[in-house]
Amino acid sequence: MKHTFRQVFHSGKFVVGFSIFMGLLLIVFVYPVIIKYPPLEVIGQGTFFPPGIYVNTFDSINAPTTYTLILDNAAAKRISNKLSNDDRLAMKEWLVSDGIPDTQIDTSDIVSLLDLWEKNFDPTKSFPGMTYAKERYYQRVNASLQGILSTEAEIIAAQNPQTNALEQTGVVKQTDYVNISNVANVRVLLLGTDNFGRDVLGELVKATGVSLQIGLVAGIIATLIGLALGLLGGYIGGFVDDIIMFITNMFTVIPTFVLLILISFSIGQEKRGAVTIAIVIGFTSWVWTARAVRSQVVSLRNRDHVNLSKLSGHSIVHIIATDILPYIASYVVMAFILQISSGILSEAGLSILGLGPRTTDVPTLGLMMNWAMIYQAEILGKWWAYFPVLVTIALITFSMNLMNTGLDQVFNPALRD
Amino acid sequence: MRKSIYILVAVFMAATMVLTSCGPAATTVAPATSVPGQPTAVPPTAVPPTPVPAPADIAASLPRNETLYFNGQQWGSVVCWNPYSSSCNNAMAIAQQDNARVTMFETPYLYDMLDGKQYPLLADGPFAWDAGMTAITFKLKAAAHWSDGTPVTAADVAYTWATHAKYQDNVGVGNKPYILDVVAVDPQTVQVKAVLDATTGKAFNPLVVAAYLSTNYVIQKAWTQTLEARTGDLTKLQADPAMDVVYSGPYHYFFADDTKVVLIRDDSYWGKDASMFGKLPIPKYLAHVIYKDNASGSIALAQGEVDVSQQFNSNIQVLWLNYALPISTYLPDAPYGIGASLPTAFYNLASYGLDQVAVRKAIAMAVDYPTIIANAMTNQSATFDQVPRSLMNPTTGEQALYDHAAVASLQWAGNDIAGAKKLLDDAGIKDINGDGFREYNGKTLHFTATCPNGWSDWQAAIEEVASAGKKIGIDIVTSFPEWAVYQTVFINWPLPTTGYDIVMFSNDGAGPTEPWGRVNHIMNSQYAKTTNNWNGNWGGYVNPAADALINALPGETDPAKIKADYTELVKIYLTDVPSFTLMYRPQSFHTVNESVWTGFPHQDDGTNPPVPPLDLTDGWSIAGLYNLTLVKP
Repeated sequence: MKHTFRQVFHSGKFVVGFSIFMGLLLIVFVYPVIIKYPPLEVIGQGTFFPPGIYVNTFDSINAPTTYTLILDNAAAKRISNKLSNDDRLAMKEWLVSDGIPDTQIDTSDIVSLLDLWEKNFDPTKSFPGMTYAKERYYQRVNASLQGILSTEAEIIAAQNPQTNALEQTGVVKQTDYVNISNVANVRVLLLGTDNFGRDVLGELVKATGVSLQIGLVAGIIATLIGLALGLLGGYIGGFVDDIIMFITNMFTVIPTFVLLILISFSIGQEKRGAVTIAIVIGFTSWVWTARAVRSQVVSLRNRDHVNLSKLSGHSIVHIIATDILPYIASYVVMAFILQISSGILSEAGLSILGLGPRTTDVPTLGLMMNWAMIYQAEILGKWWAYFPVLVTIALITFSMNLMNTGLDQVFNPALRD
Repeated sequence: MRKSIYILVAVFMAATMVLTSCGPAATTVAPATSVPGQPTAVPPTAVPPTPVPAPADIAASLPRNETLYFNGQQWGSVVCWNPYSSSCNNAMAIAQQDNARVTMFETPYLYDMLDGKQYPLLADGPFAWDAGMTAITFKLKAAAHWSDGTPVTAADVAYTWATHAKYQDNVGVGNKPYILDVVAVDPQTVQVKAVLDATTGKAFNPLVVAAYLSTNYVIQKAWTQTLEARTGDLTKLQADPAMDVVYSGPYHYFFADDTKVVLIRDDSYWGKDASMFGKLPIPKYLAHVIYKDNASGSIALAQGEVDVSQQFNSNIQVLWLNYALPISTYLPDAPYGIGASLPTAFYNLASYGLDQVAVRKAIAMAVDYPTIIANAMTNQSATFDQVPRSLMNPTTGEQALYDHAAVASLQWAGNDIAGAKKLLDDAGIKDINGDGFREYNGKTLHFTATCPNGWSDWQAAIEEVASAGKKIGIDIVTSFPEWAVYQTVFINWPLPTTGYDIVMFSNDGAGPTEPWGRVNHIMNSQYAKTTNNWNGNWGGYVNPAADALINALPGETDPAKIKADYTELVKIYLTDVPSFTLMYRPQSFHTVNESVWTGFPHQDDGTNPPVPPLDLTDGWSIAGLYNLTLVKP
């Protein structure tokens, strides 16, 4: 046993796959212990907030200490944040259409450009061939220019409850900074939010856990059924084998995924929990395990040690458990790993079609993909809603397949180095 | 020998496979082989009107500069072109509704949802009630003619109604209680006689009678008689594909299969007469590619393959803010469109505990509407801070119909957990057994909130309702049956004892009978506890005081009294809370891509009457087709 493990861990492929898988498992278990936010809590009012650090504006203004930093390029950065180079070129285009000579407009000189703009721009003016979309673009650019060159401080005012008048309560200078540790509310959203306004990272970790569970349950069921049928059919043979192979062949010709879709649909949305889905996947994906195990057993059935065991009067169960199973154990483990990985893929496939578990009870990787697609994240370029999910699915199946190949190299005499 | 036969067979099979796989490509690259003028999907018995429908290859390569492309209207392939049928699945040509689709068939008047008026189309000038309010009289335009060249006459209008009435179709059955008859006074003059109220001697419901004029098509008498001659009963009449139909509108059938529908302009259209538009509509073709789902439609819109989009594109602003695409909506900022319909949650008043006003109001008060609007609708709805809840849609016309100050104390903006809890506590509905959920008379309150599966924004809204329940100690779970099941359940009283306690459905949008029609559907007890009910009041709400006001309103002419009555109805609605609106939704999601065409309706575009954002096909928005110009002429 010890020797076998040592052999297995000498396989580079297995070790890489195993490390990735353990890393994922570690994150699934450790992350919720450190970050205690509920994974399905709706925090964002709005959809698909981009990844980043969210600093509370109110708390920043009211931070107990402010610092003054004199930075050279602060004003330039402020301007380019509001007015990109494309915007300046578009402003020039508008001014040229309005009849200002090309030579008078210098897009690099922001002061003169703004001066020209303020003198000439009319938001209601439209030129031939100019679309409403463009007209509105200029209106937005114009609105964003308000106070762009101002060096004045912004005044903070609060409403006096007695007089309802605004009274100055503070001033924010352009050189004021706060240290982020002084801001009461800062939330790091490494992967932004999804269409429900939920933290994608927390959801992803939880979903990975749930998907692994689904894969595990599906894998166990599929492997157990496949193993039992394969062992019985292969060892007993004859009429029993014919019946078992008849059923197996019947399942082989029906495309598994179609069967899966039909069963999931007929269960109905109300009853589709994560475990139900896992069971359904398990019960539809045992076929190839059964066939493979059977063929292995058939080749073992007439070996000398099995015949000896038969002559000694051992029961069928005893022979299968002690004389056959150990010889195919490594194969079954490999098949089990592949079953887990295909179970996870099947759940994702089902959920993308809207036939997965119920949305708000548990997150799964497939459901996250499904909602990202419903809210058109891929069209709108909201990559954080679907790409990390894809990567996770890929990592899980990749690590498992790698482990499988590693094991194969160790146990398959034909491949052994 | 045998071997060489095998080789020959193998070579033959390979050759066939290669040839068949090249087949479709070969036909598309060689359009010259197909015979022009050969009708494609036309039954042999029906002779299509001139010009002859186009072969697929012509429809596949329409000149982009002459074609206006749509999405979000047509799902699945067209079944028929029969204006008497309600199941033609022909979204580009047939939709008899408040804002009737008038591309191929026309109504006497066109409704404009922006100013609430009906403008003449086939009719000449405004219609008039007689002194006793018993009948409407209007004239038809002398220029109006059918596609076969014969004039549109009063006899056509009268015969259309007679056919609806005779065969008892939806239009006939729906209007029979209000319209007595439609008669031709002379070839140009139509009189619509109303069913009279026994006590007042005036029209029982003048609103519905007037709405008939802008809702229902005028269909040619001669063609209708041909149709009747070859069909006979209602089922056969409605099942006829009507490829030979005679129409009066500017467009007609050009091509239809399971991938796209194309209408072509009729250059002899009567509307080019000075008495109507004075010219032909600008695009020669109206085309609608049939997309698999919203997502593929959105991609086509972003790529400029669609000019006018009538579908929910989530976070639509990203397309112009982040991608700088020439895409725009009617309004420049959120909510981007004119909210007109009110998706609403109806309480099943027969459910245990929902007969209690305090429970109904508490749940409605606790719901987080801003999150529904920001997340489920991606801000494409006005908020309840902008448009406080009532029975009215957010249009200015309807908002002016009730006294805002008088009902302000009854309105709620949502998220009021403390207020909702207090309301329940004061009503004695508390958690006594300590399980975290409140009981009414010792029995725990447990409800199921439901809407059809796959209606994603509604599902997200219903989830918010459930979470509001949990916040105030009422156990609400969600359930999303398939639409095929849902639509057979919620319309039939009594609703099931489990699973349908809070039921979501949409209310009427903008139309000539609104807001009366909507109020009527939401609150009138005539729809309560009925079966096959597609009108409203699915929760079984009965209030005689409300009924009296609703029934009296259509005959009311004094604006002050109308406003007082609507205010009273809003008060009753917000006090009794038989249902509550979850969001506002536009009549149509009108989004345009200006890669090829420009001049689409948008806010303050200077059109008079204002062209509404209804995709240039519905009601007065058809006028927008005459304002289009090419971006690159």
